Amino acid sequence: MSELAIRRGAAPALAVHGLSYAYPHSDRPALEDVSLEVAPGEFVLLAGRSASGKSTLLKAACGLVPHFHGGEIEGEVRVADLDAIAAGPGELAAAVGYLAQDPETQVVSTTVAAEIELPLEMRGDEPADRARGVEEVALALAIPHLLDRSVDTLSGGELQRVALAAALVTRPRLILLDEPTSQLDPVAGDELIWLLRRLNEEWGVAVLLAEHRLERCLAAADRVVAMESGGVSFDGAPADFLAWARDADPALETPAARLFTLAGIDPLPVGVRDARQTLRGIGITHPPNRSSRRVSDPHQSDPALEVKGLWVELDRGEELRDVLKGIELKINRGERVALMGRNGAGKSTLLRTGAGLHSPVAGKIELDSIALLTQNPGDYLVRERVGDELPGEAGAAALRVLGLEEKVDADPRDLSGGERQRLALAIALAGRMEGAQLPGVVALDEPTRGMDRARKDELVALIADASSLSPTGGSNSTGAAVVVATHDVEFAAEFAERVVLLGDGVVIADGPAEEILSGGWYFATEVARILDLPGVVTAEQGAAALAGEGP
Amino acid sequence: MKSPFAYQPRPRPLQLASPGAAVAYLGAIVVVAFLYSNPLVLAAAGVAAVTAGLLAGARRAVEFALKMGFSLALLIVVVNALVVSRGETVIARLGAWPLFGEVNVTLEAIVAGLSMGLRAAVVLVAGAVYSACVDPDRVLRALRPLAGRSALTATLVSRLVPVAAADAARLRDAARLRGPGAAPVGKAPLARRLLAGSLDRAVDVAATLELRGYSLDTPPARARRSRSRYDRRFYAVATLVLVAAIAGKALGADDFQTYPSVEIGFGPVSLGLSVLVALSGLAPWRRRGVSSLSRIARGNRHGEVARV
Repeated sequence: MSELAIRRGAAPALAVHGLSYAYPHSDRPALEDVSLEVAPGEFVLLAGRSASGKSTLLKAACGLVPHFHGGEIEGEVRVADLDAIAAGPGELAAAVGYLAQDPETQVVSTTVAAEIELPLEMRGDEPADRARGVEEVALALAIPHLLDRSVDTLSGGELQRVALAAALVTRPRLILLDEPTSQLDPVAGDELIWLLRRLNEEWGVAVLLAEHRLERCLAAADRVVAMESGGVSFDGAPADFLAWARDADPALETPAARLFTLAGIDPLPVGVRDARQTLRGIGITHPPNRSSRRVSDPHQSDPALEVKGLWVELDRGEELRDVLKGIELKINRGERVALMGRNGAGKSTLLRTGAGLHSPVAGKIELDSIALLTQNPGDYLVRERVGDELPGEAGAAALRVLGLEEKVDADPRDLSGGERQRLALAIALAGRMEGAQLPGVVALDEPTRGMDRARKDELVALIADASSLSPTGGSNSTGAAVVVATHDVEFAAEFAERVVLLGDGVVIADGPAEEILSGGWYFATEVARILDLPGVVTAEQGAAALAGEGP
Repeated sequence: MKSPFAYQPRPRPLQLASPGAAVAYLGAIVVVAFLYSNPLVLAAAGVAAVTAGLLAGARRAVEFALKMGFSLALLIVVVNALVVSRGETVIARLGAWPLFGEVNVTLEAIVAGLSMGLRAAVVLVAGAVYSACVDPDRVLRALRPLAGRSALTATLVSRLVPVAAADAARLRDAARLRGPGAAPVGKAPLARRLLAGSLDRAVDVAATLELRGYSLDTPPARARRSRSRYDRRFYAVATLVLVAAIAGKALGADDFQTYPSVEIGFGPVSLGLSVLVALSGLAPWRRRGVSSLSRIARGNRHGEVARV
């Protein structure tokens, strides 16, 4: 087919027929008889649990599977009428762009302008055409001010946009995105999704987006494809997907859909606006407030963590910068606290200072003992046997508390993502416990990156257990203080009883989770945005509130 | 933490200049350092390199390079003083040492070491200014027509080094956060883990390159014109310094002798050359006027008018 015909969209942006694929040395296929089409200019959301085959499908659509990863493949994949199995990723680069989870490994140049220009240079475009291409894509993604910046001075959100610009600069007909918002704060995540929608509408780029946080992007999608065990389990409109998920896989339900399901309201909403319209249509405008969650007394006299006038200064490449500016905070034993805020607000720095990785320039942190799990659990795993990581009685006790005593002879690389995370936590806890008693503070930094709903539920249960177990020493019978730095507002609403919101190194809000997560726009749950009721943040709370003034 | 020698784009003349102009300018200072032994001229070259770095905004790079340079210079002075016993002015007789034999520390050997150390420090500072102010992407792009694949490989390596450094810092932090009951992490397991992680990173970066069309068999793209209005200034200063250095050498400006006794020339030619070399450090000076520089930066980036 001629290039002109391809540009005009005569062929589907992506056509997959009977695709089966197994990675090298794998005894089960990652994809099994997958068939689907993405029309030119369509926005398709790829849903499914972890390891359901979403990422592999995206890699097959851009040619990395099988060309880069090897393995055995059957079936047909056509991108803009190019045979993706015969052509390599290089040839497909003109027709398809790909954006993976971690932007750090998707940039290969030193400056932003050079990074965006690289695909055009590889294609052999003339200098003037390259200059124009770079300028246009920078304008489209609102990043012209970044062009002269060095890539290692960019924030995660900025880096993700630069990687997207490099993927779009060849003006592909299809863009593939694998959980692009997983490392972004709610503001940057929402911005990225609406940017994609705008590109989709104005440039006509077809979008195939794999994402776990469906509530963030369902309203932008034209269609949803759900995957399960390497196959397509659903393919249809977003509203139909919600009805299907309610029965087939409730873990894929959005909070809004769950709210409506619990309240017995139909049809299920694909977004906040949709939900509000439906509620208005059935005459519900201001349901009564039914907030009832327990909140610990912040003035309790047995704090696990006390931060007094804490200032921390870090070297940010060019100069020293105050990252924490006089933080005052007290967290009691047994409290479950979500530490939230934009990227760079100081959440991780606060936890790392508590764990002794940074030294304050003023003020202090008082705590008995802390176990901190950083953003990459894999960093804790350096040996090839679980038992070698955690030898002796202290190690065995930590494995028992985390439910991993059966895995003592396993290779950490063979564990599931959730098990690896629990093993890393066990390594951080080992020797800081007395029997089954946890240290005073258990801290987790962004633990839900790339997690599906089922794994998040497991983590919520783990946090609940930790906060109800007895801490080391002391006569208090309440559990450890669990402090979690997270961008995930829905997860925070599930586990936290208190939210501390940081902004540019200072505490800008501190209170009960229901109050903080229902009192804003970005740091608010989907249910809170729909109902706009103080104290109502989860689907269960919303359904209870609606029950007071049911349809 | 970012390396002080890492390139940092700034709207300053040295960063805006084409790689050729920047290399010619800094290279001229280095040539002077290699051509001369006279401490006066070497000090002038050092002043030029430091001034150029400070005017280009590379203060941290200059500070680190000076620390390294002075440490290296001190080492050279000590070694030279212990190894070379030539010279008339013996200031210490240290007796017979194994391997060294009879060790006499002379003033001349110390001064000769100082001269060599000063040269090393000048080269280090100039190199640091180059590293912090000259965009490696532009340098490698300029080299691509000559050796495309090698240039791209070098780009990748330069990208992976800071990524590996960040990974190593993360792994060290995780090792510190292990509970006292967990197996301690020695250097060997940490190094193995870092190597495995680096291989994973390399695979990811290689996949990204594939997606950017690296494997396409297209002819090498023509380089974008990347001259700035500062190029002429840097080429002119480089030429002036080189011509003056060669002429000065011919006219005896390098009148420095260490053995058998120290003789340093302070003649008019040496002084004149030193002043000229020191003043060459002002080449990256810019007039105030950020808006005009921003315009230049954008013009420089675009290089040419697009064909529509």
